[in-house]
Amino acid sequence: MRLILVDSLFEARSNFFPLAFGRPLWELRVGTSSLAGKLISRIQPDDTAYFVPDYMADVYRAQVNKPVNAPSALVGDDLMLVNPVVKAGDFKVPAKGASEIGLDERGMIIYARISRNDVKRLASDDIETFITSAKAKLPNVTCKLPTWNYTWDLILANGELIISEFAAMGRNGFEGSLEDPVAVRGSRKDVYVAPGVKVHPMVTIDAEHGPVYIDERAEIHPFSRIEGPCYIGKDSILLGAKCREGNSIGPCCRIGGEVEESIIHGYSNKYHDGFIGHSYVGEWVNLGALTTNSDLKNDYSNVSVMLDGQRAIDTGSTKVGSLIGDHTKTSIGTLLNTGSYLGAMAIIMATGKPLPKYISSFAWFIEGIVTKGFGKGRLYETAKTAMSRRKCEWTPAMEAMWDAVFDMTAPERNKAIKKGRMTLVK
Amino acid sequence: MATVEERVKAITANVLKMNADEINLEDSFTADLGAESVQSIELVAMFEEEFGIEMDEDAALSVQTVGDAVEFIAAVCREQGVDIEE
Repeated sequence: MRLILVDSLFEARSNFFPLAFGRPLWELRVGTSSLAGKLISRIQPDDTAYFVPDYMADVYRAQVNKPVNAPSALVGDDLMLVNPVVKAGDFKVPAKGASEIGLDERGMIIYARISRNDVKRLASDDIETFITSAKAKLPNVTCKLPTWNYTWDLILANGELIISEFAAMGRNGFEGSLEDPVAVRGSRKDVYVAPGVKVHPMVTIDAEHGPVYIDERAEIHPFSRIEGPCYIGKDSILLGAKCREGNSIGPCCRIGGEVEESIIHGYSNKYHDGFIGHSYVGEWVNLGALTTNSDLKNDYSNVSVMLDGQRAIDTGSTKVGSLIGDHTKTSIGTLLNTGSYLGAMAIIMATGKPLPKYISSFAWFIEGIVTKGFGKGRLYETAKTAMSRRKCEWTPAMEAMWDAVFDMTAPERNKAIKKGRMTLVK
Repeated sequence: MATVEERVKAITANVLKMNADEINLEDSFTADLGAESVQSIELVAMFEEEFGIEMDEDAALSVQTVGDAVEFIAAVCREQGVDIEE
């Protein structure tokens, strides 16, 4: 059976902006892995193919080295098309069985199980035609499966998922090196230190309230305190960090200061002091020293977030920090309000006051206003430099993808620039 | 209508907090007038507002002197069909 992950099955992908600008929805992380990792592990397909928004297809194809937006992947095997926002732990649809389309109460396709014989009856010129044809020709059944609906759903579930995934992996023990004195609180069975990890002296690993998983070649510098549940990704470095409960830190990150209940994608840096809590941080982000976010309002009311710069969405939670897009950089002393949205590829220069709650992608936020700054060319140069420092390459395909995001986000950014100009003229 | 040169000098004086009379065409924004990178961005924004034009950021920010700015802006105005006094 071939698993087909189709980004467009979720009709509101903007709910996951700014993180979803540069990746398909299933590459969002929660717990110890990506949504794709969980779905693949749950469904156990023989192989997997992907359908992503066209503008990111070349970048993603290079990343996964598997069929991406290839109609040929829709023939020749039994198929299981899955909506990427389905919670993998609740996906219990058998791989074998009659063809059927599972729809939720809103009519959104949750999954489509299609036998190889039925595939022949369907139009397979492109994924949208294929889905329309499947929905029309195959039995539709109602199904109720929990889904991830917003980025903050991932943040708020992170700790619980680390706990359940740690238990499912069944791994514990110390395969890396620990230099005494290292204090382990709680049960040692709730700690896994992978091969190649270096835990320096004067580190506390506190697994009393949840497991701690430190992945291969991570390095934990003195005076770091890691509270479980926590997942530290491969090759990441904690620099005396106060790593509070509920964090998932991706590969190759550099993390210092205080971080709590947050998800950080790979290659991002928060080297210095400052607090980040209940936040979701993309790839290649750099948070300058003392960058701090609020994740709780003074009146303890629900946090709202603006995903489009206009409409505030009540998250239903009293604790939500910031959503920070890929390649965004904050200056020293940046203060982020509760429920802030920083788009991708933005440059933020602190003003001493909390920032506006919404800053669009590719914005140069300078002197308290959004400007065109030095333009996207300079942002690409910076991205190229940052990536080369980690032996990664900025490719023409990436530039084309971000050009598309630049165009996509132009209306909101131009509006903010115009507003900023009014302030300047005054 | 004031000339492009007069308008460029007036904006520059306003942003850099100096007298327009002190500004010469051969002055470099950074070396002679002391513009910092943030002020360069502000200058570009204010020139765009003043003349009602859109400038390519990279090209605009590579302009070194006041005289170059006058020429550059005049060229953009002509390109974009904006009336100016040269």
